[in-house]
Amino acid sequence: MPSQITVRIDGVLCTATEGQTIFEVAEANGKVIPSLCHMEGVSPAGSCRLCLVEVAGVDRLLPACTTPAQRGMAVTTTSDRLVRHRRLALELMFVERNHVCAVCVSNGHCELQALAMSLGVTYVRYPYNSPRLPVDVSHPRFVLDHNRCILCSRCVRVCDEIEGAHVWDIGGRGIGSRVVAELDQPWGDSQACTSCGKCVQVCPTGALVEKGYGVEEMTRSNSAVARLAMKKGAAS
Amino acid sequence: MTAIRDLAGFNAVHGAGLAKLMPPRPRIAVGMGTCGSGNGAEAVMHAFAEAIGQRGLDIDLVRTGCFGFCAEEPLVNVRLPGQPLVILHRVRVNHVERILDDLAAKTVTANLALCRIEKWNHLTSHVHYGNGFPEIPLWNEIPFFKGQKKIVLRNAGLINPDDIEEYVAVGGYQALYKVLIDGTPEAANEQIKESGLRGRGGAGYSTGLKWEFLRKAQAERKFLICNADEGDPGAYMNRNEIESDPHALIEGMAIGAYITGATDGVIYIRAEYPLAVHQLNHAIAQARDYGLLGKDILGRGFAFDIDVVEGAGAFVCGEETALIASLEGRAGRPRPRPPFPAQKGLWGYPTNINNVETWFNIAPIIACGPAWFAETGNGASAGTKVFSLVGKIRNTGLVEMPLGTPLGSFVHAVGGGSLNGQPVKAVQTGGPSGGCIPPDLFETPVDYESLGRLGAIMGSGGMVVMDEDNCMVDVARYFIQFTRSESCGKCTPCRVGLDKALRILTRITKGQGREEDLADLDELGRMIKETSLCGLGQTAPNSLLTTLRHFHDEFEDHIRAKRCRAGTCQDLALSPCENSCPLHMNIPRFLQLYKEGRLDDAFLSVIMDNPLPASTGRVCQHPCDNRCRRATLDEAVNMREVHRIIADRVLLTDAFDGVAARIAARRLPSSGRKVAVVGAGPAGLTAAFYLSLLGHEVTVFEAHAEPGGMLRYALPEYRLPKAVLDREIEIIRRLGVKFVFNALVGEDVSLNELDAGFDAVFLSIGTWKESWVYLPGTELAGVRPALPFLEGVATGEAMHLGHHVAVIGGGNAAIDSARTAIRLGATATVIYRRERKDMPAIEEEVEAAEQEGVRFQFLAAPHRIVGEHGEVKGIEVVKTRLGEFDTSGRRRPIPTDEVRMIRCSSVILAVGEAVDRDFCRASGLSLKEGGMLDVNRYTLETSREKFYAGGDLVTGASNISNAMGYGKEAARHIDGRLSGGERFDDILPQFSYDHATPDPDPCRRHRGRDLPAQTRARTFTEAVQTLLPEEAAHEAARCLRCDIRENSSHTDSHI
Repeated sequence: MPSQITVRIDGVLCTATEGQTIFEVAEANGKVIPSLCHMEGVSPAGSCRLCLVEVAGVDRLLPACTTPAQRGMAVTTTSDRLVRHRRLALELMFVERNHVCAVCVSNGHCELQALAMSLGVTYVRYPYNSPRLPVDVSHPRFVLDHNRCILCSRCVRVCDEIEGAHVWDIGGRGIGSRVVAELDQPWGDSQACTSCGKCVQVCPTGALVEKGYGVEEMTRSNSAVARLAMKKGAAS
Repeated sequence: MTAIRDLAGFNAVHGAGLAKLMPPRPRIAVGMGTCGSGNGAEAVMHAFAEAIGQRGLDIDLVRTGCFGFCAEEPLVNVRLPGQPLVILHRVRVNHVERILDDLAAKTVTANLALCRIEKWNHLTSHVHYGNGFPEIPLWNEIPFFKGQKKIVLRNAGLINPDDIEEYVAVGGYQALYKVLIDGTPEAANEQIKESGLRGRGGAGYSTGLKWEFLRKAQAERKFLICNADEGDPGAYMNRNEIESDPHALIEGMAIGAYITGATDGVIYIRAEYPLAVHQLNHAIAQARDYGLLGKDILGRGFAFDIDVVEGAGAFVCGEETALIASLEGRAGRPRPRPPFPAQKGLWGYPTNINNVETWFNIAPIIACGPAWFAETGNGASAGTKVFSLVGKIRNTGLVEMPLGTPLGSFVHAVGGGSLNGQPVKAVQTGGPSGGCIPPDLFETPVDYESLGRLGAIMGSGGMVVMDEDNCMVDVARYFIQFTRSESCGKCTPCRVGLDKALRILTRITKGQGREEDLADLDELGRMIKETSLCGLGQTAPNSLLTTLRHFHDEFEDHIRAKRCRAGTCQDLALSPCENSCPLHMNIPRFLQLYKEGRLDDAFLSVIMDNPLPASTGRVCQHPCDNRCRRATLDEAVNMREVHRIIADRVLLTDAFDGVAARIAARRLPSSGRKVAVVGAGPAGLTAAFYLSLLGHEVTVFEAHAEPGGMLRYALPEYRLPKAVLDREIEIIRRLGVKFVFNALVGEDVSLNELDAGFDAVFLSIGTWKESWVYLPGTELAGVRPALPFLEGVATGEAMHLGHHVAVIGGGNAAIDSARTAIRLGATATVIYRRERKDMPAIEEEVEAAEQEGVRFQFLAAPHRIVGEHGEVKGIEVVKTRLGEFDTSGRRRPIPTDEVRMIRCSSVILAVGEAVDRDFCRASGLSLKEGGMLDVNRYTLETSREKFYAGGDLVTGASNISNAMGYGKEAARHIDGRLSGGERFDDILPQFSYDHATPDPDPCRRHRGRDLPAQTRARTFTEAVQTLLPEEAAHEAARCLRCDIRENSSHTDSHI
């Protein structure tokens, strides 16, 4: 039986179970730490770097989603420095690809957009990269729009860890990284895809969407996926 | 081969190895690391093999690794029985026969010998080769090796890496034997901890502690990994270590396995190191044969084996979690820690990863003890570190230095200074993740913490030296480009942030930078550093952040002035010569126009770029010469002489009036604005020329009776005939510039009066105050400063020098004074405290002085001027010796006790000039350190509204072209102020001329003709006569036309 420990989050004493991450403890105590790659039920990626927090006595910033809470830890989830870094990280996500909310099916239901609004990112100071990226419509039911992808890898993890199909992975590297189906082939040609749609349900932006929706119409339910994940976790 | 199972077996191998290392016949070992092979060692090896075979000689021929001195490759070791080992350097195939002949004659080829080794401490044993050949220096008498301490490289370049027996012969595997026979893992782990050894991959974590984690971890399998994924550009320490001494790595890992209880070893090495991979595989197979790896090591029941895995070369795979992912067959992307590899590593088992060099330190620590190891180094950073010293440095190579050695020692003492005598601008440590350190921080000890404080890192040991030809913005761009393309792309800051930083930096190098870029880059850099997932991203901005911090001026130059001082950023320079010219003359253009026979156009091109072309054609320091790309073929183009003849052929002939009128006709309509220029020296005259052309009414105030400043009063007639200067100034007069002579601003005219009477004021007063040395005897008659002496001669004052003159100093004023004294019938000795090559004077002038009979006393500092009855009788000088290097990269002169007397009848002090501090102070303008005026670097504005300043007044004593450059810039900015627009470039003429790429013939540089030394030393006639017109056309045709671009148009485009 893991022992109970106490940690301080933004000055508030919180009880946690040993082994829980800072993110989980905060969430259980009603504190929201911004994140785009984290998803309950799948392994943490630690890649979006939005959930970085300050821990007293540690020089470096630590990702809340992968750092285990430890007895006596004092965590600060919001500070000038953290907010500056988070805003810049969001700016970078916006300039990297073509996030045009006005013509996006996820407009109004987009985690990237919501986070930008809550952190007050009203403009980006760098020129947009405006890359020319393809849209994969080869799947009968779903669409992969690289223009909207922020490479959070939720789709990769949910497909691998919950559905067990491992259709998705990240190909290329650096700024040329892309979500790829199988060995970089059209999604519709994938033999492994079960068309379960979990990847579409967990996508935080308009990168993976169902066909047949217009602007602003696409809503998702990733809590359903999370429930599935819990069940899988309990079963194994 | 039977496995070694006991001491007897060990001794047998040891003896066999020694017989190979020091055979009773000559032995030749060719250094055939990748570096040696790249320099031709393969061919040398073949030539030896063939010649030895043909002659049927009884000589052992083997290959060896690299001894570290890459600049001197190929290195060949030769040894006669009982004699020292002699290292021959720069050995070519055609030396082979001679080397063999000499060996047959029982000697070594002395003129190829770099150094000799009589005995060597392999740490695990001593080898005594023999004594002899005292004429060849000992290895540690060579500056490159002096100060080095070879722990990691203890065997490199001495033993044959193919042969395990030679490794055993120098004490190899004895440390493993020792821990297995009489140590416990715990005790041995303590020793590693006590030694203070820290990870040599760069992070510097305590190796002993790391091993303790693994030792305490409970699992059925544990892994040891050697990280040999060396990927920094310019770094090749690990490659050489493995190529030269693979068994040291294997032994280190075997000891580590015994201590930590690891069952499996993996060496992850990049596939681009084929020789190192081959060497490792071969060594591992040998080690298994000899029972040093495998199921029952040394018969002690201890099992450990090593696999070699070749990486595909992704830089990020040097990061431990990415490396593990790569080993498991997944894409090389890091994952967050915890869990740390010691908890959950390769295939989920506890794992420990160390760099190649860390493993190399293990056997010596066990053999010599932790206390011995901790003796070397710098407190918290114990031991040595191997650095690859590369870049703009004379002695490139691998150097192993105690940690804590000051950075400057690497550059100056070991490295021998910069490659072509230019000042070193920075050292970049730690590869692409490291930082750039400027010379004023060269006293920094090289250890983990000190480098970290500067924003740099030790990294795996890359050390790249940069000089004035390296643009720091471009350096930052290059390294960011590298890390950007090596970023795995997993986390946002590193993936997108580095891409963004690269886009901004590229824009700046193209002259499209914006003011806000610097703040944006700084914030971006910090954010990437603080928020990235792994070490790659966390260190990638170091090069950017350190260059921003230490070389901020260069970034500003690129953004504000659109200039790249180094000339690296092609879009900001027309050609290297144009870029180096303070006046930014379009040199390729006037050369081409002259070559096309268009003298008038050539003259117009020259004078509109440079209003004093005949004077500068004679006395400019010609920085263009040092940058000319033609020098890489044969010699630099003599650009200065060509523009001298262009100017002379117009100014000194009947063409003068026509051309003067043609220039005056270019004057823009009167603006009705009035500008005062203070000082009629080169800066003032230049400003007056352009401001008048721009339509302003210019009045020049001059303290002397005639215009020209230093050109007239400091430069002797034999260098610059005053008739030439007068013609140039006449053109400026004809533009309508008014001169007020004998008017000392500050006394005769106040700044307030100028403020009231003019719309803008340009202050360009020269350095008319002499620096003074405080010596006993300077009060004597016959002791004078150089400037009043030269001025007196120029104005026809009678000078009583007596028979012999001592001139103190090494600059142009010293040489001018000495040559003038000779012309006045005296003899002269120049006394300079450093060596000849350190003199700031123009080299040609020093040569000419020598020819004219001027004597030189180098390494001598004045001590006392001896007088009798108030007159000079002589000067006592102290001999100096050269000490440590100072920030200028020259050795500091240190006085010794040796004093000698030089008899002389007068003394000229030419120890530098300074600005008139009283004027500066009284001006009420803001000053900077040293008393010079403080101006905006880009606009030349002083702290007072509408007052500008330039030339020596802001730089201190400099030279004519620098001063003129300031005059030209000031005119641009003053006109911008008065006209409210950017009109300056509109007055410059445009020409159409040929833009075909030339195909130049090989041809040496044409030089001006010196009058015979005997003749010229007696008169003030110009000493160097100009080129003949056809020679000059020839010379112009030597230009390689660096200004031509692929899409170059046939008319000028603005730069």
